[in-house]
Amino acid sequence: MTQILLKNIDTKGLTSIDVYEKQGGYQSLKKAFEKKPEEIVEIVKASGLRGRGGAGFPAGLKWSFLAKDVFPRYLACNADESEPGTCKDRELLEKTPHLLIEGIVVTCYACRIETGYIYYRGEFQHASDLMDKAIEEAYAKGYLGKNIMGSGLNLDLYTHLGAGAYICGEESALLNSLEGRRGEPRLKPPFPAVEGLYGKPTVINNVETLCVVPWIINEGAEKHAALGTEKSKGTKLVSVSGHVKKPGNYEIVMGTPTSELIFSLAGGMRDDNKLKAFIPGGSSANILPADKVDVPYDYEAIAEAGSMLGSGALIVMDHTVNIVEAALRMSYFYMHESCGKCTPCREGTRWMYQILSDIQDGKGSNKQVEKLEDICDNMSFKCFCALGDAAVAPVASSIMNFRSDYEELIKKIEGDAVTA
Amino acid sequence: MSEDNKVNITINDQPVSVPKGTLVVEAAKQIGVEIPVFCYHEKLGPFGCCRMCLVEVEKMPKLTTACTQAVMPDMVVKTESPKVIKAQQGVLEFTLLNHPLDCPVCDKGGECPLQNNTFKYGPGDTRMEFERANRDKATPLSPVITIDRERCIACQRCTRYSDIIEQESALVMLNRGFNNEVGTFNNEPYDTKYSGNVIDICPVGALTNTQFRFKARTWDLDNSATLCSHCGCNCNMTLGSRTNKFMRIETRPNDLVDDGWVCDKARFGYSFIESDQRIVEATTLVNGEHKVANTLETAKHVAESLKKIADEHGPESIGFIGSPFGTNEELYLYHKLFRFTLGTNNLDHKTYLDTPGLPVDHYDFLNIETANLVLLIGSDPAEELPILDLRIKKAVTRKGVKLAVLNDQRTELDKIADLSLKYDVGSDEIALSSLANSLATELDIPMVEGNVSDESLTGIAGDQMKKMSELIRTAMKVCVIYNPASFTESSIFMLKHLLEVINKIPTMECGAIPAAPFTNSLGAMDMGILPDYYPGGISCSDPDKVQQVWGDGAFLETKGLSALEMIEKAESGELKALIIYRNNPVIDFPDCKRVEAALKNLSLLVVHDMMETETSTLANIVLPSNGPGYDEGTTTNIGGRVQYRKRGLNTNNPPDWKIISKMINSLSEKPIEYLTSFSVTEELSKNVPGYSEITKKSIKREGKTREKIESTNGSVPEIKKIESSGHGLKLRIATKLFTKDKILDASSPLAHHFLPSTLYLNESDASKLKLSNGDQAIIKANGVDVGATVEVSNKCNPGAVVVPKISDDQGLLRLTRSGGVSWVEVKKA
Repeated sequence: MTQILLKNIDTKGLTSIDVYEKQGGYQSLKKAFEKKPEEIVEIVKASGLRGRGGAGFPAGLKWSFLAKDVFPRYLACNADESEPGTCKDRELLEKTPHLLIEGIVVTCYACRIETGYIYYRGEFQHASDLMDKAIEEAYAKGYLGKNIMGSGLNLDLYTHLGAGAYICGEESALLNSLEGRRGEPRLKPPFPAVEGLYGKPTVINNVETLCVVPWIINEGAEKHAALGTEKSKGTKLVSVSGHVKKPGNYEIVMGTPTSELIFSLAGGMRDDNKLKAFIPGGSSANILPADKVDVPYDYEAIAEAGSMLGSGALIVMDHTVNIVEAALRMSYFYMHESCGKCTPCREGTRWMYQILSDIQDGKGSNKQVEKLEDICDNMSFKCFCALGDAAVAPVASSIMNFRSDYEELIKKIEGDAVTA
Repeated sequence: MSEDNKVNITINDQPVSVPKGTLVVEAAKQIGVEIPVFCYHEKLGPFGCCRMCLVEVEKMPKLTTACTQAVMPDMVVKTESPKVIKAQQGVLEFTLLNHPLDCPVCDKGGECPLQNNTFKYGPGDTRMEFERANRDKATPLSPVITIDRERCIACQRCTRYSDIIEQESALVMLNRGFNNEVGTFNNEPYDTKYSGNVIDICPVGALTNTQFRFKARTWDLDNSATLCSHCGCNCNMTLGSRTNKFMRIETRPNDLVDDGWVCDKARFGYSFIESDQRIVEATTLVNGEHKVANTLETAKHVAESLKKIADEHGPESIGFIGSPFGTNEELYLYHKLFRFTLGTNNLDHKTYLDTPGLPVDHYDFLNIETANLVLLIGSDPAEELPILDLRIKKAVTRKGVKLAVLNDQRTELDKIADLSLKYDVGSDEIALSSLANSLATELDIPMVEGNVSDESLTGIAGDQMKKMSELIRTAMKVCVIYNPASFTESSIFMLKHLLEVINKIPTMECGAIPAAPFTNSLGAMDMGILPDYYPGGISCSDPDKVQQVWGDGAFLETKGLSALEMIEKAESGELKALIIYRNNPVIDFPDCKRVEAALKNLSLLVVHDMMETETSTLANIVLPSNGPGYDEGTTTNIGGRVQYRKRGLNTNNPPDWKIISKMINSLSEKPIEYLTSFSVTEELSKNVPGYSEITKKSIKREGKTREKIESTNGSVPEIKKIESSGHGLKLRIATKLFTKDKILDASSPLAHHFLPSTLYLNESDASKLKLSNGDQAIIKANGVDVGATVEVSNKCNPGAVVVPKISDDQGLLRLTRSGGVSWVEVKKA
């Protein structure tokens, strides 16, 4: 299977620039600088590369939305990998920081950007330290700084650690946090491409997205576009977690069946237990029942199956799992991470958690399940940002696909009450 | 607006055409469709966090918030569809989930958007089965604001206000998610100059007025639509009372004046109206004792006594020191009493030199936002005219207006200025002439004589002054805001010359706002409380004009005395009698120790005031003045807007206009009986040029701008020789908004703002004097000592000190002398 990102990932000493260069690192810069910036944007458009952060928006198109002739512009690399179940960016950041720098340099050349920031989640101190070292090396070799390789591109790159908030992975909240403000999503429009960091046009891309860019420049857009399905091109890093034998990050070509990821790459279910449920794209995606396990792992197919590819975090649950408990745990996460800006999310996440706790603790009723469904309806698509919808996903999908788990808990309780 | 800029949309099947960029929530208002909101406030702009205003828009997949969505051509909006109703009920259920519903004991009850929206759009029931969250019920954010964190619905109106409007970012959201709460960094008090406005904009009872808490139900209040009387902005406010007791002040938005805000001095600075220091009865000094007398009888006695003295010693032997705090009606009547009944021009209301009228347009507050450049001269709006400060901040940070500052002290607005130049204390006239000449060179018009651009004269380098003239020259519309009270000697003439020069720049639109920091300075000048001008800027040296307006015999040959000259003549014994109306020369006049002696020298001193003062204790006769809260009449703000100050509380005392007209009538053959203060307004509108359209009806809602008073400035002024004599340092007295005086006494809820006596020294002077931060120093002049703590900061150029007037007790004015620069010696204590 073609590997773009993980092929050389375990090469010893890859974090140092010498090893990285020996592996063919920084070669894409020369190629890129031979072309005009607009041509790079066209190449990335033609490659079909879509944002790997969760929304899957075409990367080249995003770049072309930058407000014309407004400078300075900024790049913010989203390294706030916080989606439960996701650990793919971390692997790239900790093992091949220079790949990200290379991707950033090409992107900044394409978008005429002279200042870039990598925004790390607060817990990524180690990755950030490694990157600081890598950036130092890149400056020394002339891959960053003034007039990079005679291209005329000046680029300064900085790392920035967040303070530990899930919401700061949302691009506009990330910008707020980067500016030293409270981590809360901003009103859109204006979109970051028009008014982003410090009110200037800003490109925001996920780590994985930027890391794919050098390969596209080296190998050509066609080669990338040839991988995957009609609308989901290239490869995808998938973080497989949960009840599998070999949890970890796997790079697959888009469209590979999910069952292959679970049963082949990740070594199958632990103790050869029965698969009960899986979440294809992190906790913000709907929980799917086992019978959907053959769904091809690409944006469209997963959406059609009733969930989303999201950040590429495949969470696998075997038959020992009570889905209510799983929903309760995820609902706790969203209550804890809601920024509190908008009413439905701030109040709704807590209320849902309270009700789920009741059901889990044996104080639930069918009426409460109905109420939960209505709360989900009152929240979904009515919150300020996508966090509210994300909070709804595990609860609503667990009721929809695993109502029997709820009923069992309630019946058991009602039964206990009768025997007592 | 042209049709191109209009967008046609449909809301609930009703068509509406609104300007491009209008928000749906505003478009709906225009056709009477109400969309409920919490977080949206028209002054704060779109935010979209409360989700109360969700509406359905055809072709949009999700409901959208009407407060953030701008209109689009042919948009079809539904605000009452089943989807919308479900969403509204859902959002309200979320909002109320953990709200305490302590409406029966909530200050906001009866005027609460949460109550109102729930009443109209709410689900009518709750499905909340868990115990509601408990939070702090009463936490002081400052001595004047108490927060009830249980009631807060996190709409962020207050925090955005602090960020966008007052631009302090002092009030912020703390913590995250369900635990978020409104607070300040490190729990510091939230005590900005404009903090109280958050009480009004809070859509629930979370931010409460500490003084008003649990005092009365809002629906039981008697609300009076009145004006603030503290400074020249004349902000609109509502005074709420119950059983004739003062309860609270709220904003009463008037975009033409206050833009919907008031400062904290307006909101919390009215406890004086129930002070026991108020003068509520007339008293006469008989054998060293104050005897209470009937007020109107006393007024008659005062008039007759003055008349007697005028008959004996000539009308020049009596005088009137008025006040920039009285209403137009009261001041107009005093002008009549002294000029026409008693026959003297000895009227004044101030200790600095100023003349009525402008050689350019008189700009109102809206012009600050539409200008390209605001040129601020000698003014410190944040301390002197707070709402003017907010309006300038808004213009500069949100309307793209440039700001140039010319001052002798550093002020808060310097932070956002494009250029800020500091002239040496006392060199205002030269600095102004240097700027005028810099502009005049290019225009080929007469210049002020002398080498005024020399840096050694003003402390401003030539290229810097050039930069400023370039800023002015390249602006299409300049709004000059100047404080005449900050000028020394006759610099006001140079200022008016500068205005004339700016106005001569081709294609230039220029206007000015004379920003004296007093309530009704403009009105006092317009009403002729000046020794050299009749009302409406008619010069005392223009007999034809005087007779044209006032009829035969109205012209007085003898020139009047200014307030300071009256004091001098009192000292020499030539002035025998004086009425001092709502003024306190013993504290507020230069070299006031001498003033006290001079006043004691008078045969008759009448003080007509609302509070007992150091001056009233010297008076032979004291007349009560009702003052703000109890009085009524019009005042003219610095932008020329005439508004009506309504009575808030009732009193049995006769109003001031009745007392003054009693004085006039007891000496007149043809008495005029006024029925109300408006009868006086009606008369003055006929007689005072510029006020012809001021009527009870025309000023009713938002007030009316009086017509511009023409200025009679003529030739290019000459520079008075700069004073180089003097020992030690030049003294610049700075105005502070919160000073411990008769208005804000020690018991004021704003007492926490009072500063200790402070002396701001320039670094170079500090090192010469061997003084450093925190040292106790003594400021000496006129044989008087004033103590102060040293703060080394370059608030002014070397060779001078800035000392804020922080209280009446400080006695700062004892160090000064009349007219020019005052020199002081500074020593370590």
